[in-house]
Amino acid sequence: MEIVWEYIVRGIVDVFYTADGAFDVVPMAMVFSGLILGIIVGATPGLNGPFAMALALPILISVFGVSNEALLPILGFLIGLMKGGTIGGAVPAILFNTPGTPDAFLTTLDGHPMAKKGQGAKALKIAHFSSASGDTFSDMILFMTAPALAVLIENVLDLPEKSALIILSLSFMAAVAGKSPIKGLIVGTLGMLLALMGSTLSGNGPRMTLGIDALGNGLPLTSAVIGVLIIGEVFLGLEDAARERLAKMNVLEDIPDADNSFGWKDIRQIMPRICSSALIGTMVGALPGIGTTLAATLGYDTAKRLSKHPEKFGTGLPEGVAATEAANSAVSGANLIPVMSLGIPGNFAAVFLILAVESVGDFTLGPAVFRFTEIKVIEDYGTIINKDLVVAFGIFTLMVLGNIFNWTVGWWFLRSLGILARVPKTIMLPVVLLITLTAVYVQDGGFIAIWVVLAFGAMGYVLRRLEVSILPFVIGFILAPKLEELIRGGYSASGGDPFFLIKSPLALLFLAAAVFIVVFASRQPKHSDPGS
Amino acid sequence: MTASADNQRPAPDPWNIGFGVVVLVLALATLFLWIPGDIKGGFIEANQTGKPEPGDAFFPVILSGLMLILAAVQLAGALFSRKPQPASGKITSDNFKFLLFFYAVVLTGLTIMYWLGPLVVDALRGAGAIDNTYRQLVDTAPYKYIGYVVGGFLMISALIIWAEGRVRVHAILTVAIVIGLLIGVLDVLLHNIQLPPNADF
Repeated sequence: MEIVWEYIVRGIVDVFYTADGAFDVVPMAMVFSGLILGIIVGATPGLNGPFAMALALPILISVFGVSNEALLPILGFLIGLMKGGTIGGAVPAILFNTPGTPDAFLTTLDGHPMAKKGQGAKALKIAHFSSASGDTFSDMILFMTAPALAVLIENVLDLPEKSALIILSLSFMAAVAGKSPIKGLIVGTLGMLLALMGSTLSGNGPRMTLGIDALGNGLPLTSAVIGVLIIGEVFLGLEDAARERLAKMNVLEDIPDADNSFGWKDIRQIMPRICSSALIGTMVGALPGIGTTLAATLGYDTAKRLSKHPEKFGTGLPEGVAATEAANSAVSGANLIPVMSLGIPGNFAAVFLILAVESVGDFTLGPAVFRFTEIKVIEDYGTIINKDLVVAFGIFTLMVLGNIFNWTVGWWFLRSLGILARVPKTIMLPVVLLITLTAVYVQDGGFIAIWVVLAFGAMGYVLRRLEVSILPFVIGFILAPKLEELIRGGYSASGGDPFFLIKSPLALLFLAAAVFIVVFASRQPKHSDPGS
Repeated sequence: MTASADNQRPAPDPWNIGFGVVVLVLALATLFLWIPGDIKGGFIEANQTGKPEPGDAFFPVILSGLMLILAAVQLAGALFSRKPQPASGKITSDNFKFLLFFYAVVLTGLTIMYWLGPLVVDALRGAGAIDNTYRQLVDTAPYKYIGYVVGGFLMISALIIWAEGRVRVHAILTVAIVIGLLIGVLDVLLHNIQLPPNADF
């Protein structure tokens, strides 16, 4: 137990002090500024946390570089954005009946009627309290489960089992994230195939470059992911906004303020709903591929079922706002459980955290991180320590800081953001396009990044129009190199046995589960989750 | 002979069939054209000790083979399934026109962004006003901003005007402010960064 505490303390110290022992305010300031910017972004229709993370990542890398020291400030900012983006979505949902983020749609059901009754400020306070509660609860579960899960995985799983686990995760995402599991699997496989462009593991020179020399080092990872996630969405949003061309907001006329106080009585009233929703959001978030929208829907539905007056839901009930906000915020921490313990991103926000880790420093996410190596100081050599574990506890510290800032200053900032909700998508989305093109150019230092962004943007647009989830594509794209390494390693280690994957009972179980999930999901009528 | 109501299959969704066909063709092209023509390593190779180990084509072949199987399953489901398949989204001719228009605007903007700076510098050099090439001036204001400001401004303004169906002063001002902010942050505050298109020269 002592060694665990030592690593935790070192992780905390890593956030507040530089390697030279000087006090370092930068990571803390980055969490704070990320949170504030995230709240602004979440409050702006057409933007959301992952959008902002995508735009910020290349700029952050340009500012801080790619050294190990840059990792915590960059991750701090991204974690702040992730947390702020979730909570900010409640502002336009409550004040203007316009959800800033897809998962905030359910907040409109009770939040906006409250605003119409002159209780907009109270609804915002409830949303903030519930969101911060759900987020904090979910983070606590992450801190407790991710290390335990990682240690278990590292001790039990070898190369074939790890390969099969990635295949199971991808199959699960394909099964739950879109309308058709087969199409999800197809785009996941396509993502993996494209990720192999330019790489080589045999020293035979770059492969699959289509004769384009600039792809010799592979497709720029961040540009490709940003293209399919952000530019595809910009295309779609701009086209839809142009077709509507009204983009009229349901702006509230001057309504006299009613009772906007929020005290212990209100907290007692909404606390049971917050607890049930935080639990639901955490469980949903821990499974890769399921969006926040489903968590909010389940949270709201459960709150309604448990309520003594379900008929009042949708008429401006504080419990309704609390249930949805606690559920969708609880997803964000739990979503990092598969990231921290397996290195598998479960949602778009997690994708950008993984991208940051892949691009900056030599820290790697995954089960090996949580190896509690004994710390030894050897004279004339240095300290033997698992540095990755220190960084992992540093990341947890950043999340705690994000929660503290959210509890203390989040609300003061949140209530002043009504004006942002009026910025129309028709202006916001082209501006996002310019920032994206500039950011990827700046990071990769050439037009090749812009061409990749635009090509993948077109792919993202087509997939969205065909109602095929892009999440398996993105996750496949990110995980392909790791899966290839595991499969090649497993094949070689087995002495060239083509059936090495199914000779391990556990790997066979994972593969059977993957097939079962896809077959089962294919037989169920489904609706896609816009949040994913 | 008439089929009973129970045996009637739902009408196949052409978009589901089309999706399957496109993926099938893509998988076949990858397996038989792209991989053989663009990967130097083999599927299985012998290492220095003579033991077999996967080559660079190993994983791509597995993936494209899997894609081929999935495409076949998708097609079979779309054509022969008795259960209704999830309806596919569609890309209409309007969507296609939008995409073409969008890319035309963006590519025009990027072309201006790329070439305007060098053209202005060439013109000034031709007129004897300066002696340098654009390559020598990529870190000198105002030359380093010309392409980015004009190309970016025209591209984004055109998209906003098209989306809104009107010209609004505050929309145009917003674009100008955003470009100013980007230059301020990325070029003035940071010194090791080059705005488009300067890193390409």
